[in-house]
Amino acid sequence: MFDWDAVWKFIVSPFFLQAAWTTLWLSVVAQLAGVVLGLFLALMRMSRFKWLSFPVQVYVWFFRGSPLLVQVLLLWDGLPKLVPGLLFSQITCILIAFSLNEAAYMSEIIRAGISSVDPGQMEAARALGMRYWLAMRRIILPQAARVIIPPLGNEFNNMLKTTSIASVIGLEELTGTAEILGAPSFSIFELLIVATLYYLLLTTLWDYFQRWIERRLDPEYAAKGGRPGRRPGQKSWAQRVLGFGNPPLESGELIAGGHGGAR
Amino acid sequence: MTQQQSYNGYQEQEPPLPSAVPQATENTEMVRVEQAVKRFGDLLVLNNVSMTVKRGQVVVIIGPSGSGKTTLLRCINHLEKIDSGYIYVDGQLVGYRLVKGQLVEAREAEIAKMRAQIGFVFQRFNLFAHMTALENIIEAPVHVLGIPRDEAIAQAMELLRKVGLEEKAHVYPHKLSGGQQQRVAIARALAMRPKLMLFDEATSALDPELVGEVLKVMRQLAEEGMTMVVVTHEMGFARDVADHVIFMDHGVIVEEGPPEQIFDDPQNERTRNFLGLIAAD
Ligand SMILES: Nc1ncnc2c1ncn2[C@@H]1O[C@H](COP(=O)(O)OP(=O)(O)OP(=O)(O)O)[C@@H](O)[C@H]1O
Ligand SMILES: [Mg+2]
Repeated sequence: MFDWDAVWKFIVSPFFLQAAWTTLWLSVVAQLAGVVLGLFLALMRMSRFKWLSFPVQVYVWFFRGSPLLVQVLLLWDGLPKLVPGLLFSQITCILIAFSLNEAAYMSEIIRAGISSVDPGQMEAARALGMRYWLAMRRIILPQAARVIIPPLGNEFNNMLKTTSIASVIGLEELTGTAEILGAPSFSIFELLIVATLYYLLLTTLWDYFQRWIERRLDPEYAAKGGRPGRRPGQKSWAQRVLGFGNPPLESGELIAGGHGGAR
Repeated sequence: MTQQQSYNGYQEQEPPLPSAVPQATENTEMVRVEQAVKRFGDLLVLNNVSMTVKRGQVVVIIGPSGSGKTTLLRCINHLEKIDSGYIYVDGQLVGYRLVKGQLVEAREAEIAKMRAQIGFVFQRFNLFAHMTALENIIEAPVHVLGIPRDEAIAQAMELLRKVGLEEKAHVYPHKLSGGQQQRVAIARALAMRPKLMLFDEATSALDPELVGEVLKVMRQLAEEGMTMVVVTHEMGFARDVADHVIFMDHGVIVEEGPPEQIFDDPQNERTRNFLGLIAAD
């Protein structure tokens, strides 16, 4: 018999709130690490030096070509055998495996974003005496972000769900909690429903957030009126933080006192 | 030189723009190219090119498509590396430095510092697409030279006035015409107070009716004494403004001299053919 009472009892229990929190912060940290590492991998991959780009090719080939579950188990079971005495927690293992895996995907997304920027932009930056990193940070990445943000949002949606793999090594995120709590009372099915509801909640909230960001980064947003009270041409916080998504101005239209909203 | 020092150096050059006149020293040569050779794979693009540009001079390079004009300009600010030969800008070797009598490749910081003193104007403008005209102009002064933002903005507004685009300060490049974009690009280069300006077919991506406004700015700059190397197909401009004209073909300087000689009495068959073709256009 399906036990609805178990669902209601557990859905607001500290166990699942804790589990949802674990799922959320695992996802956020792994995604952030994946983005940062992925950026470096992307830049290495785009280097004209073979000794920089080739290792990245192998890296991406490995992490995209084998299952994440296997990568987690290799790290969890395999590494301590290779390095006797090596001890790390489940959390550490999962964070490492997920970050490394995500970095492979992010490196391809970031590379596509950077490639989408006209090479003339880099040339102009360098001709003005900007060094590589300055040009990347100020000129290239802000323009690449427009291409990178939408798939990055999808990656995070995936990440929220993929963290369920952590349950195989006994980590108590949503899926693991459902299994562990459900086993003694034979109510795994009910608890998996609870976990599913939490996953749906997290991904739905993220979906709204993602759409909100993308709308804010749309250069036409402010021009179309955007949020009431914003002067034409004024940048939203997302545009300021990320440094792009500039609203086009009608020619001759001046912003009183401002300088195009730059920092 | 540290950023701080170069900033101080910048301040010594008061009064601020628009008088973009390079400082004279006893050295009269701004650019010296010695037997430059450049290959792209098997293609010999620069074949033993030598030339000099004196301080305050306007040198115009003409020649058919593919003759290596763009490549020569790009080598001067080291966007492209020459395979052999030497290029000096203001007495300094471009892209290399001497260490105990040996030539060593310069570090990125040194190359960047040299480029910061050379303005480059591209055929396709290359304005930063995510920045307004004003932001484009202050970007490098603020982040490369370390000039305070207010000061950079004041200078940029003056430059925009100079190129006649004051009212476009807060407009993004895609809302500007090609001629306006190119004028902003020139202002952006001038904001670094370059001692040398390189123009690579600055008007050839423009609709005919927009060419004049850009040439006017270039002409004004030449009159102010800016040292300029100009690649162009605008023969009228070359004849009026150039102190010296270089005709290139197949990676070689075929003929050079004062504009009257090149345009009215070309000595070389290929020059005559090329100018004949242009006139026939
Ligand atoms: N990055 C590159 N890789 C390979 N070949 C190149 C490259 N850049 C230029 N070339 C080749 O070098 C030759 C000279 O090119 P360059 O652009 O200097 O000519 P140009 O005189 O500026 O011609 P145009 O008037 O068409 O601009 C051309 O044959 C061109 O195809
Ligand atoms: Mg060219």
